[in-house]
Amino acid sequence: MTITGRPPAGPTAGGNAARRDRRGVVGQIADRRLADLRPILDALDRRQLARRLASAPEPRPFALRLAAPGLHLIAEIKRSSPSAGRIAASDDDVVARARAYQAGGAAAISVLCEPHWFGGSADDLAAIRAGVSLPVLAKEFVVDARQLDLLRAAGADAVLLLAVLQPRRSLARLVNRALDLGLEPFVEAHDERELEASLATRARVIGINNRDLRSLNVDPERAPRLRDQVPDDRIVIAESGVRDASTIRGWRALGFDGALVGEALVRAGDPEATTRAFVAAGRSPADPVEAARAPFVKICGITDAPGVTAAIRAGADAIGLNLVPGTPRALSLDEAVSLARVARTSAPIGNRPAIVVITADRTADDLNAIAAAVDADAIQLSGDEPASLIVELDRPAWKVLHLPSADVSRTGFAAMGIDSPVGRPATPASFAGTARTYLAAGAARIMLDTAGGLHPGGTGTRVDALLVAGVAREVPITLAGGLDPANVSGALRVAAIVGVDVASGTEAPRIPGMRPRKDPLRVALFAKRARAARTDRPNLAARPTPVDPGILEADSHGRWGIHREFGGRYVPETLMAALAQLETAYDALRHDPRFWSELRELLATFAGRPTPLYRADRLAAHVLEQARTASTGGSVPEQLRLYLKREDLAHTGAHKINNALGQSLLTRRLGKSRVIAETGAGQHGVATATACALLGLPCVVYMGAEDIERQQPNVLRMHALGAEVRAVHSGSATLKDAINEAMRDWVTNVRTTHYVLGSAMGPHPYPTIVRDLQRRIGDEAAVQLDAVEGRLPDLALACVGGGSNAIGLLSRFIGEPSVRLAVAEAAGDGIATGRHAAALAGGTPGILHGARSMMLQDSDGQVVEAISASAGLDYPGVGPQLSALHQAGRIELAASTDDDAFAAMALTAEAEGILPALETAHAIAALPRLLAGTEGSGAPYPADALVLLGFSGRGDKDLGPFGRWREARA
Amino acid sequence: MTNDTAGGQRIAAAFAAARSEDRAALVLYVVAGYPDLETSYTAALACIDGGADVLEIGLPYSDPLADGATMQHASSAALRAGATFDRSIELVVRIAESRPRVPLVPMCYANQVIGGGDGRAAARRLAEAGASGIIVADLTPDEGAPFEAVAREVGLAVVYLVAPTTPRERRAAIANRSGGFLYCVSLVGVTGARRVLPSDVARLVREVRAASPVPVGVGFGVSRPAHVRALVKAGADGVIVASALVDALGKDGHDLAALGALVHELLAATAVPS
Repeated sequence: MTITGRPPAGPTAGGNAARRDRRGVVGQIADRRLADLRPILDALDRRQLARRLASAPEPRPFALRLAAPGLHLIAEIKRSSPSAGRIAASDDDVVARARAYQAGGAAAISVLCEPHWFGGSADDLAAIRAGVSLPVLAKEFVVDARQLDLLRAAGADAVLLLAVLQPRRSLARLVNRALDLGLEPFVEAHDERELEASLATRARVIGINNRDLRSLNVDPERAPRLRDQVPDDRIVIAESGVRDASTIRGWRALGFDGALVGEALVRAGDPEATTRAFVAAGRSPADPVEAARAPFVKICGITDAPGVTAAIRAGADAIGLNLVPGTPRALSLDEAVSLARVARTSAPIGNRPAIVVITADRTADDLNAIAAAVDADAIQLSGDEPASLIVELDRPAWKVLHLPSADVSRTGFAAMGIDSPVGRPATPASFAGTARTYLAAGAARIMLDTAGGLHPGGTGTRVDALLVAGVAREVPITLAGGLDPANVSGALRVAAIVGVDVASGTEAPRIPGMRPRKDPLRVALFAKRARAARTDRPNLAARPTPVDPGILEADSHGRWGIHREFGGRYVPETLMAALAQLETAYDALRHDPRFWSELRELLATFAGRPTPLYRADRLAAHVLEQARTASTGGSVPEQLRLYLKREDLAHTGAHKINNALGQSLLTRRLGKSRVIAETGAGQHGVATATACALLGLPCVVYMGAEDIERQQPNVLRMHALGAEVRAVHSGSATLKDAINEAMRDWVTNVRTTHYVLGSAMGPHPYPTIVRDLQRRIGDEAAVQLDAVEGRLPDLALACVGGGSNAIGLLSRFIGEPSVRLAVAEAAGDGIATGRHAAALAGGTPGILHGARSMMLQDSDGQVVEAISASAGLDYPGVGPQLSALHQAGRIELAASTDDDAFAAMALTAEAEGILPALETAHAIAALPRLLAGTEGSGAPYPADALVLLGFSGRGDKDLGPFGRWREARA
Repeated sequence: MTNDTAGGQRIAAAFAAARSEDRAALVLYVVAGYPDLETSYTAALACIDGGADVLEIGLPYSDPLADGATMQHASSAALRAGATFDRSIELVVRIAESRPRVPLVPMCYANQVIGGGDGRAAARRLAEAGASGIIVADLTPDEGAPFEAVAREVGLAVVYLVAPTTPRERRAAIANRSGGFLYCVSLVGVTGARRVLPSDVARLVREVRAASPVPVGVGFGVSRPAHVRALVKAGADGVIVASALVDALGKDGHDLAALGALVHELLAATAVPS
């Protein structure tokens, strides 16, 4: 064992050689520490120690601070270390350094107190604590319980306890002693065994160190791998191996509450600036899409003012005051009035939790009187109230439906269809039906009370979780009963519930004869875990999607549709292994928050997301006028609010960058070193070339010779970005043939190459991957639209070729029955001429480019060439999910000719000062006909129509053909 | 075992007959309708008369993404010359009638036979025309079950492919589903004559051979007698030559003499070394 840094100054004492060997470096340090301290500890005067403890400053809250949203920085101060040697000059002003960390936003300071290897001391700790207002963690090698007293006396607020140094029992004893002293124990583990021992103690703060203190080796994936073994009701800190801010961001995404960082801060020239960068990386993302996916959090059964304060500090959306007599948390009306007053006066203005009174089986008069007295924001009906009661109430009503307890469901309750407490068989459909009855009667919120809890263990668990998930996919549900900080994120990930409600799960241990009280730490952790449960997990449903699952997700074979008739994997055998590898890798990434967090950061800082939502009033006026002209007597909306989702403002000028960046990151994860892509209009080629330039990957783009002619500017851009553009002359020399050629390249180079397919088509899992990477378009648009209009659109419309832009915009709304969905295909010279690219309107099911989907083909199954002036839409197929949506009647079809599209391009440029891509112009051109009902379903729109249009790209690349069109017209 | 179809048994018997003559089966290939229907018929007979034990008949496709330049060219030339599914069926009928001894195995892409349905109609027509089996370049057992079922009803063997990238367990699974023979793809890539085959092809052939209950035919890239000898030595039950024959037909596709000469050389190379 080589030890760098200062060697011990004297002989080690205590412990036999074998034990020392097993514990390695840390064992040597601990033994030395014991030898140093034993005489001092033995000479301690108990009375003097008690006096020093009594005069020690009040402990500063350590755990509660870390339970706030996001990941917090514990900045460490040490003068040297066994792994790095001397770090700072001995005259380094440790107090000034601590102040810099505080100014940078650190949540706590960790101070090394060991003298021989780290150059620290309890004096350092006391000096630093006096110089800052942050809690201070004593980083000490605790081998004797009396050290805890000394450290607390020196001012420590928290203390490190190393699981590697202690047998289980003594670790638990040290934890208890520290808690008794008001010293927060921070128990550190490095492997499963140590972690298990740590979790067996009462410690609320658990550290996972990437560094093995015996060998000093760092395994940066150690903490990420062990994170999920720590229940969510503990605070979890990651330690060692910070490369840069991205490490911190990854730890935050994985659900760590804190990062203990030492050397990475010391090495940096400006400690305050580095601290600031790390603190920023640890914050929860301020992304409106993420915020919209976070659940509603209600803290129920609050019994006293500190409980109200805890809920407010945790940022609860609602607090529940129980007025059901005879229940453990029941309040008198006076108490409820007084607690409501506390909530109103102490909450930040504009951010007050809703005050909800919990009632059961009272009369309307009674309820109205209670609500008025408390000035409640809502009345929760927890009994067997009929839906008819709701109309008589003055304030919003929240109705509770009770699920059978786990004991009952364990016997197969749901499967057997036995009557449930709400008087119907306990199936998702029956609960959803009951919920809809109450919603129709005016209920503002439906709560589902699982009684025994969603995760009580045993076989009943699964029945309940399935039942809840089934109800939640039908109607908006707030889940109550049995939730706590440890299980709430699990519940939010298995069911698309929109809110969570907790009472006993956030309480301190019950004291017999006393009313239950909230534990502020558990309240804070519950809210934190609930809010973070779906952060950076964009592929978990966060709201009901009451439509056939076949139009939302592929099955395990990659098949889509109500009868799973589309999609699949029709490729040469040579590619099957690569597709299987891609599927496995992507299955893991789909729910890997680190991947999505990294991608979001790239999309924000590199690609300019979120893209704006722009209300185009002048264009809307023209569209309405055209709709009236086009109308054949049907009703046309009187007003139109037209919102453009401006993907043209994303880097590289189209939505394609979303997919290209995601798949380039995926390429790295696959361990492949070369990228190929196909391109039609050149936008996907440019986006892929851009992503590859960013990530340093060689890139070959296949492009039809005809497309190279009509999209010259993009060819030049790809060259500039260092990509190789290979012209494809076979077939129609357009997108379809570029895909054939890219597939041939892939078949040949599959071992080293990832094929970045640009559209939501191709063999499984491509349609899912590209959809997942593009769904952000609609996710953002829905949030942006809600912010200005307070609702979802009446119609969402996008142009469609292969379908990445269309599925990206529409995905968010497939499960929203109130939103009509439409796509505009390229009609080329007109669908009736047969010279078009409308695979949905004019195609039949077939197998093209690896999947079964709608396509243009003749009776022999030969692919028919698509015809469109728009290179991006000039494709004879369309992705399988869009085919499934079409087959299911969930999307309406429109088609625009080349001429229509060029005219819409001109109109948009002149009316709004925005030059759309020729592809985008197909959607704009189709809108008047959709509104007039001459295309699409023909069903009328509301008089005041709200339309969201996917503005997929900018038109600079089309200026050549556009100019020729104008000349021809003039 | 999947050789429970009449077609599969005919193909297996052809491999067995070759084996009884101490040689590997010679599987040759013509593109239906290339350069025109009549010439492709003559070329087919030349292949059979020159010693083919099994004849593959390529059905030209607009988007042959597993094929290299030779087959892409031949496919599109055939389509331009008027090749259709109906005419290909007629060609199969004529070949089957004039040379009933040799099993015929059309090769095509999934959309030509399955498309939006299960392929029942195409399978029936091919079987009635006299085909014994079918190779679908972009169909694997993962998606093949419905088509296998309708093919079996009419006695048509569905020949599957294994590739160098196919994991070991998957090779065995595919071999157990393949009818007639198992098509072993020699290289990682598209079709087309190669000057040399991959250095590890012998090991691939040995491993696939050991895993397969049906005869193994090796194809892709095979163009020279030396290739054939190497594959036979490695234990291939059959060798498949396709693009090289199309190349031999020359630029205009009419050089039947060159085709015959190549077939003659290839046949001589199929002898199993004693």
